[in-house]
Amino acid sequence: MKLQSRSVQNQGIPTASMADIAFLLIIFFMVTINFEVDKTTVFLPKTDLRLEIPKKSAYVSVTEAGQIRVSSGEEISIPVSNADDVLTFALGVIAADPQKAFVLKADKNVPYRFVDGVIDALKQAEAEVIYLLSEQKTVDDAGAAPTGG
Amino acid sequence: MKIARPPISEEIPTSSMADIAFLLIIYFMVTTTFAATRGLDFSLPKEEDTPLIDKEESVLIEIQPGGALLVDNKPMQLDQILEYLKPKLERNPLKPVIIRPNEMAEYGYMVSVFDELRQAEEKIGIEVKNVSIPTQREVDMFWY
Repeated sequence: MKLQSRSVQNQGIPTASMADIAFLLIIFFMVTINFEVDKTTVFLPKTDLRLEIPKKSAYVSVTEAGQIRVSSGEEISIPVSNADDVLTFALGVIAADPQKAFVLKADKNVPYRFVDGVIDALKQAEAEVIYLLSEQKTVDDAGAAPTGG
Repeated sequence: MKIARPPISEEIPTSSMADIAFLLIIYFMVTTTFAATRGLDFSLPKEEDTPLIDKEESVLIEIQPGGALLVDNKPMQLDQILEYLKPKLERNPLKPVIIRPNEMAEYGYMVSVFDELRQAEEKIGIEVKNVSIPTQREVDMFWY
């Protein structure tokens, strides 16, 4: 008896659904992307405890050299010259939205006096809550903890 | 002589669609920066609600430049603070704890101390409810 010949198998890789997969990935990226309102480069302090910051929070960033930038959370941050300007900015933000959360994005090596001025300005503007932006502390960071004098 | 035209395909050419899509993905992947969106919350008291804290009744944590810590004028390691606070908080759960960084101390050390205090409930079973970080203006106005 003569056996039926096998059907000819297609040797090409099926790529018809490749575009669908790629577009799904693009949609994922577009939906999950967060546009940063403040792109100031700082080395953030590291903490064990980290809470999610509300979206559209106002940002105050302080670089290691003490340069300050502010953003209401709606537009790209702008530089300000000192803590008095932060107070003026914060009063404007609070007037528009008294519940607005503020994010302090300060370099971990900045002398505290710069941060002190910013916190004082936010306190005077009667901000309700400040989020101290941080990165996750890892086991390797344990050695960088403050010590007894 | 009649020249035969080549047949026109009725399908939309989609063979390059995947290439375009992957180029877009690569663009997104290269330009995406993962922003830090987490941090420690620090609730600020209202001016009218701010209680005057007697320095003698509170625990004072001073932070020196370089990260050296003085807790009630005693040198201490970061991981010793909560053990020092535990008996005081057991007697008075509302014991005020004041963090007072030196003006030249690095900000990161203040955050480390605050982070440690916020983990008190997890580490020693008692929450530090009353943490204060007075600013220099407040110190000048209210410190006595």
